[in-house]
Amino acid sequence: MASLEISGLVKTYGDVRALDDVSFDVAAGELFGFVGANGAGKTTTMRIILGVLRADAGTVTWDGSPIDAATRSRIGYMPEERGLYPRMKVGEQLVYLARLHGLSRADAHAAMERWTEVLGVAERRADAVEKLSLGNQQRVQLASALVHGPEILVLDEPFSGLDPVAVGVMSEVLRTEAARGVPVIFSSHQLELVERLCDRVGIVRAGRLVASGAVADLTATERPRWLIEGDLPRGWDPGLAGVTVAHEADRVTIEAESPQRAPEILAAAVNVGQVRAFTPLRSTLTELFEDVVSEHEEAAA
Amino acid sequence: MIWLIARREYRTRALSKASLISSAVMIVLIVAAALIIRPFMTEDGAGDGVLVEVDAATAPLIPYLEVAASQQGIALMVEEVDAGASPELAEGVAGVLTGDPAQPQLFVDSAEGPVPVVTASAVQAYVLDAEVSGLGGDPAQVSEALASATPTVTVLGDQQDIDPGALFAGFAVIFVLFVVLIQSASVIMMGVVEEKSSRVVEILLATVKPATLLGGKVLGVGLYALTQAAGMLVPALFAIWYLDLVAEFGIDVGSLLLNFAVWFVLGFAIFIVLFGGLASLVSRQEDLGAVTTPMMLTMMVPLYLAIYLVPNNPDGPITAALTQVPFFAPFLVPMRVAFGAIAPWEIALAVVIALVSIPVLTWLAGRVYAGAVLNTGGRMKIRDAVRRG
Repeated sequence: MASLEISGLVKTYGDVRALDDVSFDVAAGELFGFVGANGAGKTTTMRIILGVLRADAGTVTWDGSPIDAATRSRIGYMPEERGLYPRMKVGEQLVYLARLHGLSRADAHAAMERWTEVLGVAERRADAVEKLSLGNQQRVQLASALVHGPEILVLDEPFSGLDPVAVGVMSEVLRTEAARGVPVIFSSHQLELVERLCDRVGIVRAGRLVASGAVADLTATERPRWLIEGDLPRGWDPGLAGVTVAHEADRVTIEAESPQRAPEILAAAVNVGQVRAFTPLRSTLTELFEDVVSEHEEAAA
Repeated sequence: MIWLIARREYRTRALSKASLISSAVMIVLIVAAALIIRPFMTEDGAGDGVLVEVDAATAPLIPYLEVAASQQGIALMVEEVDAGASPELAEGVAGVLTGDPAQPQLFVDSAEGPVPVVTASAVQAYVLDAEVSGLGGDPAQVSEALASATPTVTVLGDQQDIDPGALFAGFAVIFVLFVVLIQSASVIMMGVVEEKSSRVVEILLATVKPATLLGGKVLGVGLYALTQAAGMLVPALFAIWYLDLVAEFGIDVGSLLLNFAVWFVLGFAIFIVLFGGLASLVSRQEDLGAVTTPMMLTMMVPLYLAIYLVPNNPDGPITAALTQVPFFAPFLVPMRVAFGAIAPWEIALAVVIALVSIPVLTWLAGRVYAGAVLNTGGRMKIRDAVRRG
């Protein structure tokens, strides 16, 4: 299956190393979330993928061959800094951008009608972009990334500044595009959203990719943990070998060396009190992100 | 692709209300000016035609009046009347002549004007003829001898008078070029900065090469400027024809217009490409002045050289050398053509040099543009932009 491969990207601005050996790949049909603090190198990476910036070293390939002008025109791109001609009409603008990407006039027009429909801005086609609300401008921006039927999607913070309804629409569109076989890379600071939406994530910090992989793999803890909610005696301990307990209000957290211990732990709890819920605990992407970032800060210090 | 960009650029400019209105106003102004000026010009012509009434008794003087008037370049109309002893000046009549042709009485409302002078020489000629005939000579022979008795004048030194017609025509052409360039320069620079400040350029650059983007913009703005210039030229040509100005200038209008067309296109490419590249160095409209002011001032140099250097020294060595420099040629060549002081090979060489330098300049401007166009914040140095591009 085709995949977008980014390998060994290096980019330096003066003394600042913006990217240091960044490598990852996104398979066709995969949603890849790109997270990191501001200035970590997400935007630089995306600009290099688009060929808007040149890397000092490293390569970007699609389906095994370097990205050339022809491939580039089949990428849908939403830059971090939004940009459309403010005084140009929504419809005209989308048709123009589609045609710049090589669509015929008729195809461009049809695509414009379709995407303004899907993204809920069909009524504003004849209005200048600057007359739209910020949220609607954002929808037009997404439409401009999609209007030429791209084979690859690179979206820099597509969710920033959207209301919950628009976030829903946007997520749905990204899922649909991925299901169509498009590799989708997007960056976001909304980690819960990334966790929910993405197959895989990459975390960048100070120009380095410090973690990447499936969300479930990254967030799995070394030792399994469970959360018990219910009325258990204060200070309760099942007294099982290799099992530790932590109490916090009426939440009890249990940690053991293997998932096989779950039944005996639950049995012990049910014996002494009422259990309303017994759930395995995973760390969230947010926790992982904080861990990874602070780990490296310590390492750096 | 370049045409798509050019087309958008063209439509954006041409269909904006402001430009439609300003073009319409200019056309109306030129045509209206021609229509208004014409009656004055013809009236001036009629004003030269002075009407003099001559009493029947003074009628033998009439042929002499006509000859004297034509010698002095005055359109004189003579009407024979019965004036009586105390004549009055009717409306539109400059003078009345009565009495003996050899010693007539002239009635005028002012001693100024051509009538007394013309009358005096007519009377002298009349009397001279009468005396020659009285002495038995042939008056026709005498007047022929008199007519050929003029000195041949040779001006020494190289102080030549500047031909005002050529100066005016040449100045008109390069001034139009200058105005259009300044106007188009500001259009293209605002266009570049608009794309930069609205960040749309990043989407565009993801699929279009910087040089293509810049080239398309220059092409679009250029075609628009040409349309606009043609929009001015048609009424201007109408005005020239209607007011019959060609005859007054006495210059080769055809070759001047041809050179105007050629150098308009070449000058446009040379300057506007550079302006586009330079505009990409800044990120906001407010900062544009820092880049454009020096550029605008630089453009005054060839304009002033063309106005002051060429008329005084149309084919001197400095003029000839500067003619071959791409930045000066668009102004110097049309001016020298207006003065008829340029060899065809000089024009051809200047065109070739300009044609060669345009791709080089485009490449350079494209590099500056490519390097600077994604830079936000302060102004960039040209050297940094070239290195990044």
